[in-house]
Amino acid sequence: MAAPASSSASSSKLERLSATSRTKDLTDSDSEDMVLVAAHQEAENAKYIKSVTSPLQDLLSTQTWQVQEETLEAVLPYLEGNPNDFDLNTFGIPKLQRIQHVRFLNNALQKYPAAFMAIDASRPWFLYWSLQGLTALGQDISDYDERVVYTFAASQHPSGGFGGGHGQLPHLAATYAALLSLVIVGTPEAYASVNRSTMYSFLGRMKQADGGFTMALNGEEDIRGAFCALVALSLLNLPLELPPDAPVREQGLTSFLDGLTDWISRCQTFEGGISASPGQEAHGAYAFCGLGCLSILGSPKDTINKHLDVPSLLHWLSSRQCAPEGGFNGRTNKLVDGCYSHWVGGCWPLVEAAVGKGIANRAALGRYILSAAQFKKGGLIDKPGKRPDAYHSCYNLAGLSAMQHEHKYDETKSGEVGKEGLGGPYHWQQDGLYGGEKVWDDDDMLNRVHPVFIVPWGKAEACRGYFEEQGSL
Amino acid sequence: MAPKKFYHDDPAWSDVEPIPQDDGGPYPLAAIAYTDEYREAMSYLRAVMAKNEASQRVLALTEHIISMNPAHYTVWLYRAKTLSALSVPLSEEIAWLNPTALRHIKNYQIWHHRQTIINQLGSPKGESDFITSMLAQDSKNYHVWSYRQWLVQRFNIYTDEELAWTESMIDEDIRNNSAWNHRFFLVFGKSKDAIPSQEIIDRELDYAKSAIRKAPQNQSPWNYLRGAVRHVKLPVSTLKQFALEFADTEKPDEVFSSHALDVLADVYAEEKGMEEQARRALELLAERYDPIRKQYWNYRMGLLGEGRVV
Ligand SMILES: [Zn+2]
Repeated sequence: MAAPASSSASSSKLERLSATSRTKDLTDSDSEDMVLVAAHQEAENAKYIKSVTSPLQDLLSTQTWQVQEETLEAVLPYLEGNPNDFDLNTFGIPKLQRIQHVRFLNNALQKYPAAFMAIDASRPWFLYWSLQGLTALGQDISDYDERVVYTFAASQHPSGGFGGGHGQLPHLAATYAALLSLVIVGTPEAYASVNRSTMYSFLGRMKQADGGFTMALNGEEDIRGAFCALVALSLLNLPLELPPDAPVREQGLTSFLDGLTDWISRCQTFEGGISASPGQEAHGAYAFCGLGCLSILGSPKDTINKHLDVPSLLHWLSSRQCAPEGGFNGRTNKLVDGCYSHWVGGCWPLVEAAVGKGIANRAALGRYILSAAQFKKGGLIDKPGKRPDAYHSCYNLAGLSAMQHEHKYDETKSGEVGKEGLGGPYHWQQDGLYGGEKVWDDDDMLNRVHPVFIVPWGKAEACRGYFEEQGSL
Repeated sequence: MAPKKFYHDDPAWSDVEPIPQDDGGPYPLAAIAYTDEYREAMSYLRAVMAKNEASQRVLALTEHIISMNPAHYTVWLYRAKTLSALSVPLSEEIAWLNPTALRHIKNYQIWHHRQTIINQLGSPKGESDFITSMLAQDSKNYHVWSYRQWLVQRFNIYTDEELAWTESMIDEDIRNNSAWNHRFFLVFGKSKDAIPSQEIIDRELDYAKSAIRKAPQNQSPWNYLRGAVRHVKLPVSTLKQFALEFADTEKPDEVFSSHALDVLADVYAEEKGMEEQARRALELLAERYDPIRKQYWNYRMGLLGEGRVV
């Protein structure tokens, strides 16, 4: 911030601040200026918070209301002040703590102590979240290239697809995380390490008669399954015709896409959002999977408008932004959480491409991420008071990146890659930086992320291009 | 804490050659320093899976691994497969599962396993009570509610009793959106095109309205109300008089619910000659009563001229 404050609005804050012990250490006039600046900034932030707070509040106390109040109490000090003592950007809010986040994510790739046994089935995710987070932060990850390939070689199942680790059954979540990690690495060795033909047969075993996909053999069927399967089919340029041994052929299905869009439509709930499977509650993470499916099946403008009720979708999606926090929650009457910066924030580029208008409050989300979701010692978090992890780091960063950049969908599909099959997601174009109200400086910019695959810009196209050159199975 | 269990010196396992863990090359990423006990048990699991063995000792082995790491889908799936191959009494499995589930409430492999077992058992007996006890700890747990919906569908429990239970969950916390979703599922979700009787529609609209009167900013019943109206293909103007109880574009200082303004904006957008009123409602939302969503309300304003309605 430039000049110290002299506005009367900040005077009471200033008095309060001067009375605190913080001022004791400050001896020279520079420090006194800093206190003034901080007080001014707090007053500015308080004014902002007021400007996005609705005057309407119900007082009826229930459990939901109580935890909401507690959350607000935890978040507000971070929106208003700077409890972490981060350096501030020119908008007066904490800078992106790039170096600390890089350190945290590099660490997340190292060896875990025995207490982390519970992540034994999710190791592929830790690789993906860390690699994606690091690349968003502008890091070169090529030092990890070989180790990534080796690590996944051990978890690729002989019957096709990837498991959580050596000897674990193939699972679509693990397959998704493994594929995206290999796409981020992006070397011919990484691509070639995937056994496409067994993968094809594994995906065939996941297809269900009602149109959806299970996550594993005899595992749960939900919209994650459909999304992960489409991601694999598309990136690896696999045939859309079901393999001859796909069990669901007995029910008369012949294509991976049979019944799929109907099934996805049935996941849209009465609230307008999208649920894990038909009948369940609308939820941000499942909404991203559903919109991701449609964005792989074609241009979002075609598919989202055709298969979803867009007005109620927009209503539900915009309702996810919490006020005054600015971050998103995942369901109606739930709490703000940094991972929805992506799960919900990532829905916006897809939906905005479908309606041709910008609708999300990007600055408010950016403010939540930078002010409240950065952990003091590095890594990003759900909300103040929580510990950082690779998951919340990756998805806060992906959400912030989505807010910082503009993409547009090339309806003419002029690019060389993705002319056929599930080629829909290879026709996104850069459209500059977000030009509306923002709260980040050049120093706070993240790298551009592909809006459907959530990998560095260009990597998905490179992978698809490689497998198009390989031809069909 | 249970004593450590090893297999290499157990005569009952002497015929099995364990398959050691391969973390992925000499320098694996995100490898875990497993305890010796876990590492060995997993090596024996890989071995029995490779042979496709289904036996009592496999059940004991999976139970042992689950006790150390319940978030391991492979172990659960292989246990389910073994159970069905051995045709052991499934009620015993449920009895074992109950305390395990209570210890690991956020773990969703357990719920899928339970679903597999109950599906084969063919009876939902006792399940409702069990679910209720789980929700008492975590009233919005997505997996628990999803499991309940599966149960209702699988055993056709679209009953008054189920509805009364759902109502008791809403009574406990009128903002519990999972409970509202369950109600919608029970009343309107039985089949996609089925429209309930007028009597039931009236009952549902009244129910949501009385909830709104208790806390007009609670979006759950508003979404329910609008969802119900849309589902039974009534015009949104059905809700006009009710919304006017909480907001009136002519009285901008006396607004008690932003959601009422939102409904009114839609009502007026459809009503001939009322476009200005719709615009006023959206302006009040953008500028005063729900400013964080300003861009969204502006977007809706932009649709007004186009003869399109949200
Ligand atoms: Zn989270």
